[in-house]
Amino acid sequence: MSEAPPETSGNLAVESRAAFAAWVREAPGGRRFAQVLIRRQAPDGYVLCHVDDAGADDLKVYEDPRAARELSKLTEKGEYRPLKSSPNLRRGWQLRVPDDGGLATAMNYLYPAAVVHWHLYREDRLEITHYRQNAARQSGIYKRVQRLSDKGVQNAARACCEDAVCLKKTLWDVDEQLPLEMSRGEGEIPCPEPCSIFVSFARQVRLFEREEKRDLDEIGLSRSEKEDLTTLVRAAATGEMGFTREAEFEEPLNERRLRYRNLTLVPKIAPEAGEG
Amino acid sequence: MKALVIVGHGSHLNEDSSLPVYEHAERIRETGGYDEVVECFWKEEPSMRHVLETVESDEVYVVPAFISEGYFTQQVIPREFGLEGPVTKKGSKTVHYAGPLGTFEKMADVILERIEDLMRDKDVSEGRTALVLLGHGTAMNKNSSGVIYLNAERIRARGGYDLVVEAFLDQDPEVGEVVGSVEAENVILIPVFIAEGWHTRETIPEDLGLTGEVTRRGDRTIFYGAPVGTHPSMAGLIAARARELEGQVVGSAS
Ligand code: SF4
Repeated sequence: MSEAPPETSGNLAVESRAAFAAWVREAPGGRRFAQVLIRRQAPDGYVLCHVDDAGADDLKVYEDPRAARELSKLTEKGEYRPLKSSPNLRRGWQLRVPDDGGLATAMNYLYPAAVVHWHLYREDRLEITHYRQNAARQSGIYKRVQRLSDKGVQNAARACCEDAVCLKKTLWDVDEQLPLEMSRGEGEIPCPEPCSIFVSFARQVRLFEREEKRDLDEIGLSRSEKEDLTTLVRAAATGEMGFTREAEFEEPLNERRLRYRNLTLVPKIAPEAGEG
Repeated sequence: MKALVIVGHGSHLNEDSSLPVYEHAERIRETGGYDEVVECFWKEEPSMRHVLETVESDEVYVVPAFISEGYFTQQVIPREFGLEGPVTKKGSKTVHYAGPLGTFEKMADVILERIEDLMRDKDVSEGRTALVLLGHGTAMNKNSSGVIYLNAERIRARGGYDLVVEAFLDQDPEVGEVVGSVEAENVILIPVFIAEGWHTRETIPEDLGLTGEVTRRGDRTIFYGAPVGTHPSMAGLIAARARELEGQVVGSAS
C-alpha cells in the first residue's frame, strides 16, 4: 500500500475559505490569484474577473458562483483546458458572488483545491509529495514513470511546469535529496505534488528515454526526434503552424513536447546554441 | 454535515467524460439531501488525492461514476483517496465508499428510461423488437461483461422485448455481428457506458454504418441511444447508491 494522501485536520475547508476571504478583504485594490482578480463588493460580496480585464466595462456578468466552471472550461479559442492553472483562462466575464461561501465555490472551479493549498502553504503546513513518491504509487499504463531518470524528471518539470505553461509554484522535488533545477514560478498557488498532466507527460518522456537507448541514428537523433523535426518544418512551410491540444503529448506539435525538445534536442544539434 | 463526492474518470482531451458527473452533481444539489456535493476526477482537477481537503463535512460518501467493478473502483480510487475499506476514518472525517453503479438494482430502471427517451416519437416497424445492451467488455476483466449480462437478465425478467441480447466492443459476441444477425425488425442499441466518447460518437456509428438515432437498413431499423450514464435519472441512482451507505460503521462489511 502506498503512502496515503494528506490528512485533513480540523475543518480545513472552512478555515482556508475564511483566511482567503480575509486576505482579499484587507487589500483595497483587490487581490490577484493566478489569472483572476478578486475585489470586494459591498456589503459581503466579491467581484471576480480576468486580471487583464480589471479596467474593462463591457464584461458579461454572471452571478452564480458555479458559472465559474463554464468560464474556466475553454480557452479564448474554444479549446478544452485540462489544467486549470495553465495561463490560458479566457477573458470577457465578470463573476459577482454574494459571500465567502460563493467565493470559495467559484475559486474551487477556477483553481481546484488551490485556496486550501494556498492557506496551508502560508501556514507552513502544506504536505509535499515528491516525484518518486508519486511515481511509486502509479500503476497500469503509468507504472513506467517509475523508471524515468532523474534527468528526465528535471527536464520534464522544466518543460511542463514553468510559468509559461503552468502558473503554479512547483514545490515538489525529484525526491527529498534531489531538488528540481528550474524556475519554480512566482504564482500564488502552490503545487504540492505532480498532477495527472505531469504524470502523463512524464510517461511520454520515459518513452523518449527508451528510444535513446536503442534507436539512435548516426548523428544521434531518435526516431521521434526526427518525426518532430519533420512535422515542425512541414507545418511551418505550409503555414499550418499551431500547437496540438494541451495534453496530446504523443503529437509532435504539442507545446510541452516542443519545450522538452528545446531542452534536449536543440543542444544535440547545435551545442553552441545552449538551451535557448 | 454530509457530503457526497462523485468520482469521474475525467479526460485530458475533452469535456465528454466529466460533463455527466457535473450534471448529475448539479441535479443532486437541487434535490437536496447533502450539505455539499463535490466532483473529483482521475484525470482532471480536483484530484481524488486532494478533494477531501476542500470538503467541510465530516460524513463523506464517495460514489464512483463507473459502471463496473475493476481496476478503477478496486485499485485506483481506494489508493488515491487512501481508503481502507467500505468505511475509513480520516482525521475528523468518516469516508464511506460505494461500489460501482452498474450492478446496483436500479441500473435496469435507468437503462429503461434511456430507451423510453430514445423511442419517444419514433416509428417502430411491425414485427419483433430486440434490445441490444452494449458493453465495452475486455478479456482481462470479467466484471466488465458481467454487468451487461446482469442487466440484460434483469430487463429480460421484466418482459417488454421479444429479445434482450448482450454485445461488446472488445470481446465476443461482437456488436457488429449481433446487430447484423439478431432476428428482429427493430433493434434498439443502448451503450451501457458512463459518458459519451470516441466509441459512442465515432467508432460505433462508423463500424455499424449508423446515420443517427434511427438507421433503416433493408427491413431492419436500428435505434441508437445515447450512453446510459448521461441520462438524468443516473443522478437518482448515484444518490441512492450513497444513501445505501448511511449507517455503515468502520469495520463493517459492504
Ligand atoms: S505538476 Fe507541474 S503542471 Fe502540474 S500543476 Fe504542478 S506545476 Fe503545474
